[in-house]
Amino acid sequence: MLKASNLIPQKRFLVISGVILLLMISLVSRFFYLQIYFHETYKEKAEVNRIRAIPLNAPRGLILDRNGEIIVDNYPTYVLTAIPGEMIEKRKNFQIISQCTGIDTSILEVNYKKYFRGRFLPARLAKDLSFDQLSRIEEHKQELTGINYIQFPERYFPGKVSAAHLLGYVKEVDKVLLQDLNEKEKYLYGDLIGWRGLEKVYEDRLRGEKGIYFVEVDAYGRELGISSDYQKENPIPGKDLRISLLIPLQEMLENILDGYRAVVLVSLPKTGEMLSMVSKPDYPPDLFTGSTTVDEWQNIISNPEKPLLNRITHGLYPPGSTLKMITAMMLMEKGKINYSEKINCNGVYELGDRIFRCWKEMGHGEMDLEQAIAQSCNVYFYHVVQRLSIDEWANACDEFGFGKTTKIDLASEAKGVVPNSAYMNKQYGHWGWSKGHLLNLSLGQGELVVTPIQMMQFINILAMSGTAPALHLAKDKSAVMHSVKRFSQQTWKRMEKYMRKVVSSTHGTGKRANPEITGLKIAGKTGTAQNPHGEPHAWFIGYGEKDNKLVSVVVLIENGGHGGATAAPIAGRVFDFLFSSSESTKLAFSL
Amino acid sequence: MIQLFLQKFRESTLSILAITLSLTAVGLITLKSINTGHEGHYLQQSFYKQFFFLLPAVIAFLIAFFIPRHTIHRYIYGLYGVMILMILIPFLGTEIASTYRWIDIGLPFGFQPSELAKWIVVIALARYLSDHNLEMNYFTASIFPIIMVLIPAAIILNQPDLGTAIIILVPVLPMLYWVGARPFHLFLMVAPLVSIITAFHWISFAVWAAIMLYVIYNAKPNFVFSITTFFGNIFLGLLSPVLWGMLKGYQQKRILTLFNPEIDPLGAAYQIIQSKTAIGAGGWLGKGWGQGTQTHLKFLPVQESDFIVSVIGEEFGFIAILLLVTLFSVLILRTLRLAYNIDDRFSSLVLLGLSTIFAAHVFVNFAMTVGMIPVKGLPLPFVSYGGTFLLSSYVMVAFIMNLSIDPKDY
Repeated sequence: MLKASNLIPQKRFLVISGVILLLMISLVSRFFYLQIYFHETYKEKAEVNRIRAIPLNAPRGLILDRNGEIIVDNYPTYVLTAIPGEMIEKRKNFQIISQCTGIDTSILEVNYKKYFRGRFLPARLAKDLSFDQLSRIEEHKQELTGINYIQFPERYFPGKVSAAHLLGYVKEVDKVLLQDLNEKEKYLYGDLIGWRGLEKVYEDRLRGEKGIYFVEVDAYGRELGISSDYQKENPIPGKDLRISLLIPLQEMLENILDGYRAVVLVSLPKTGEMLSMVSKPDYPPDLFTGSTTVDEWQNIISNPEKPLLNRITHGLYPPGSTLKMITAMMLMEKGKINYSEKINCNGVYELGDRIFRCWKEMGHGEMDLEQAIAQSCNVYFYHVVQRLSIDEWANACDEFGFGKTTKIDLASEAKGVVPNSAYMNKQYGHWGWSKGHLLNLSLGQGELVVTPIQMMQFINILAMSGTAPALHLAKDKSAVMHSVKRFSQQTWKRMEKYMRKVVSSTHGTGKRANPEITGLKIAGKTGTAQNPHGEPHAWFIGYGEKDNKLVSVVVLIENGGHGGATAAPIAGRVFDFLFSSSESTKLAFSL
Repeated sequence: MIQLFLQKFRESTLSILAITLSLTAVGLITLKSINTGHEGHYLQQSFYKQFFFLLPAVIAFLIAFFIPRHTIHRYIYGLYGVMILMILIPFLGTEIASTYRWIDIGLPFGFQPSELAKWIVVIALARYLSDHNLEMNYFTASIFPIIMVLIPAAIILNQPDLGTAIIILVPVLPMLYWVGARPFHLFLMVAPLVSIITAFHWISFAVWAAIMLYVIYNAKPNFVFSITTFFGNIFLGLLSPVLWGMLKGYQQKRILTLFNPEIDPLGAAYQIIQSKTAIGAGGWLGKGWGQGTQTHLKFLPVQESDFIVSVIGEEFGFIAILLLVTLFSVLILRTLRLAYNIDDRFSSLVLLGLSTIFAAHVFVNFAMTVGMIPVKGLPLPFVSYGGTFLLSSYVMVAFIMNLSIDPKDY
């Protein structure tokens, strides 16, 4: 059979040859199309293909106290990311990571979903990894395709002080947040952004600039080494923020106030710098860095004492008798009061069918203006305040900054309420309110509510006789002047004289604010603000001066009872701390 | 004996050998480029390994070249039987890269019996068709040859090695056509396959049904036969989802990525994308020997074997690709011409079968690197790295040269 002769029709030979030729021509044209026609496209693609840019996170600037002590620091942690498109076996990868770090795979899954942004963008699996955990992962690097880690500086609070409400916190930029940001282009997912307090206000200064370096990678995303074709750019760390706080004072006050719901503010009226700002209860400043457990978090949220509330700027309180100065000065300035005029206080004042009581049930007896302020007699003021209209009074309050934000460099503030006639008409109807309301308001009760930081501004204006720099925390912030122009120098001086009596006279309500340091002259006023939540809030506002060094203090103890009994002694501690030793005086008044 | 060999050598078509050697050289040059920058012992480098593989390849070439035509003809059925056993052996051994295509022969590299199956099947088929020369007008005469290729193809498909299975199937159609099978019969053989593939979309299925109607109408077979053929195919098409489910996951994936490469950017499509990028970046003249960034940064998968064309495209450019395709075309068309001219049906069929194997290899390999067809995992003859395939290719060239000598020894 081998000899079977061969008679192939030429047509069939041509058909097969033709088919093969056609196939070969199609190949050549396809290659022409890719290599010549689309050459540029692929050339570019090939360039991009082999380089991966790795961001180098810049540490945020530190926050320092007025003497350079570190309040907020950074420490290096590692963040583990997964590039979805490069992971070959996700489940297996997660199991290995879980074994190396002790993080549950379900958490990894949740994070993976949460931070997923695209097939070839890294999604964050875990943060705050220690070097130990990382080196265990490094051992498995060959199996873990698509898994990378980068150094990530995390906020760290070395200090003795909390100051959590002031410092604020940083937050991670996520999908939702990024949409609402004004400067979207500056942030990437997973970046930190100052979200509250100083971290927010000084975000631009504290945030550094990211660096970048380029590595060559292979098809599986494995790094082959640093690319020599592209220049590495080092990150630029954020600039440090020096604030005016005095750490030792802050520390002392935070300790004293532990267990209270209270605010203590200390400032330098001549510059507007805040020496101390304490709002209690507070929370650990690292609460928002992510290591908080659900339980801890629940505790803080459900705590009836509201530790998250920054009482300094958002606590709204009736100011109580601390506001008597405004009434007194208005009367003095308008000549509506005779300084030697005496009014008898028997503990009760009747207006129409309403009875108003003095805080001293027995009554103060015969009182002139000086005594009425020093002993905080209500009945005296019930009488004299009727010589003013509610709008005269409200305008003066407005000029001192009540009912408006102080613009201190914390992220947000409450405004409070200063009721004038329009407000009262709106609230009660034109005939629905009467002089009785004014009696209450002038004693800092009723509709009037203020924030402690407004009180700080108020006392600074009094201390500076009308013109005080605006309050601020950042050392280098240039302060705008805040002036109250309606009063003469004489009125300011007389008011100061009366306020000194509050602290220095034997019957003065604020005498416990006096640490009796020679040369230290203290002026102040106590307040005992009635409120529906139980015991009255105790206030003390005042300032002390020695050797031309001026310090002002605001103390508020929620439900603390009499201002003179609970608030004034704390102010006393502040004055004592600052003026009893020359060393702390030096620290406080250093520039 | 040497005298005899030299005489035979002189009578053979030496241009085919020249092309083979050129292609081998291109392969070695490319492998050397891939190896540059790689550290390690030179025996671990594909260039040197391929170089050493040339030795058994040349020996096999000499043997295959020297075996008399009638010896081949006589023993081919036996060899076919041995081959079937050999491709079954890997299933007894251990999995390598989750396939069963290698036999461990105690050497630092494996042996792939399925490579030899390609030409053994062709020669066995050639013998059968030349023996049953005159029956080709009947459809039934095509059934046995079909079974001859289906058995090894099915075994190899289960290794699983879809690419090689297809290569084994391909020559049977042109060979049947060559010996006079009616085109309509060949159409009937291919029809079920097309029915299965087109059934995945109703439009393609409708178009195919129309084509079937037209072809069946023109061929004018009897009425019952027409009806059975038509509806049989339609039924098969409807069955195809079931058959689809029987495919291996990676095979499904490979087929799917042909239609939509975005499905699996890290798998098969990723390879295609990377390969296209490398080739496209090459331009007219390429980046130069050893300069391909895609190659040297390991973006290219299996660049030494299946995707070696991508390396050539990147480093030597379109001109080199054109040259390469031309060399292969000359080799294949020259062999076809020899098959047409030779005055012996058995030899003619072997030459035809071997040339279609080369053609299929070349087309599938080139086409998959540029995304024209799914990734099939087929190496390029003489150029790609791989010992058994090199040997197998040289044996096929030897048979072409051997059997194309004008038969005067019978």
